[in-house]
Amino acid sequence: MVGSPVGAQAQQAGFNIVVLDPAHGGTDPGARGTGGIRESEIVLDFVIQVRRALELQGFQVVQTRQGNENPSFDDRSATANAQRGAVFVTLHISSTGLPGTARVYVNSDLPPVADSNGLIPWDRAQAPFLGLSRTFGDLVQGYLTQRFKGSPDTAQTASVRQLRTTATPAIAVEISSVTVEDRADLDRMAPGVADAIARGAAVFKPSYVVPNTRGALP
Amino acid sequence: MTPRWKFWLIGGLVIAVLAAAIYFPILRRRVKRAAKLQQQSEEQARRELTQPIAINPGDPRVKTKLFWASDTIESTLVPVTVELPLSNDPVLRSKQVLNTLLAGPVDAELRTLPPDALLLAFYLLPDGTAIADFSEALATSIPSGIVSEQLAVNSITRTLEANVPQVQRLKILIHGQEVETLAGHLDLAEAFVVNTKPAQPQVKPAPAQSSTDKPATPASDKATAPAPRPLTADKPPGRLAQPERKP
Repeated sequence: MVGSPVGAQAQQAGFNIVVLDPAHGGTDPGARGTGGIRESEIVLDFVIQVRRALELQGFQVVQTRQGNENPSFDDRSATANAQRGAVFVTLHISSTGLPGTARVYVNSDLPPVADSNGLIPWDRAQAPFLGLSRTFGDLVQGYLTQRFKGSPDTAQTASVRQLRTTATPAIAVEISSVTVEDRADLDRMAPGVADAIARGAAVFKPSYVVPNTRGALP
Repeated sequence: MTPRWKFWLIGGLVIAVLAAAIYFPILRRRVKRAAKLQQQSEEQARRELTQPIAINPGDPRVKTKLFWASDTIESTLVPVTVELPLSNDPVLRSKQVLNTLLAGPVDAELRTLPPDALLLAFYLLPDGTAIADFSEALATSIPSGIVSEQLAVNSITRTLEANVPQVQRLKILIHGQEVETLAGHLDLAEAFVVNTKPAQPQVKPAPAQSSTDKPATPASDKATAPAPRPLTADKPPGRLAQPERKP
């Protein structure tokens, strides 16, 4: 279970923490390209640039992994759920899709959270945040589409395992793809991806009113 | 040591080396043959277990929508309509459509599922929840990524939705096991919604199917006929009807 009693009335505005999750790592390299490109390595490099862009916007950044480790899905969610007033961004590189594009995903609908005891079930922690995740995702996707033509106009919906147990506004950003012949093609996307996430977070900030009771629902 | 003993010792060693040189290749061939036989028997056993349900020509031919990848819009699905003889039994029907989906379209580039993936078993519970058990290849051979994994699952659920109204939800297993994700991204913990409309009353079964039109769970995995072949250019499924495109 996540959180504490629902229904706290007093609220404070704005979040200040962005949890960045470079996906995979350790024994799990993620998607692999023919040229030896590994998703787990590239996302770590992307995160460095995203972190810098977010810090320039005044955000505090927490990472789910620093090096070549592979925390479990739950461990990564726990890192995010332990923060008060945070948003969560998990970064991926796909194996397919139009190279040079980027997609934002928010989690599919989840069964409603039973609030009789005021606790959010861990395996549906994302449920109360889906609306906020959608708003955040659409903002980031909008900025990405301005930079990377051929990307969708709005955030997509998918049952992304990592998002389901995350009790914050949470999105997955997936960049296409490891199939590029030259890794530099992906590296060139990093500043644009970093800028889109940082600008999206800055514009989203006033929309997410963080309850002042730790763990309370939005 | 006398020269005579030396002679016998060296002679014995030479004979031993010659014998080993002759025997080792034979031994290696035998080991290889034994390994091959074991592999063949494993493959045979797997084939016997997973032989898909045959398309029975006696079944009524119905327009079947199969969802494969679009060749014009990246990362989307389009229905391709083909006429197939399909059973009225929802479990057999599900196996028939899923095996045809696994066999793939004419253009291999438009596949949504790995060519070596197999449907091992399919069950339908009374509440409309179906359980599809796929071989490990579905998880290990699929390109890793949210977009590719979602396309694969959507092609399965939308094909079932279009052809088997009795299936309301779908739970996917890999080699009989519940798994956390398909290939590191898509969540397989929960069942996917397939059909939100209540199932239509079942059509009276064709005589040829009378022995199989009974409560569908659990379905037998044994079958008697070969797997449907990939749809070839002689019978291009995409040409039989205009694919409907959805945004």
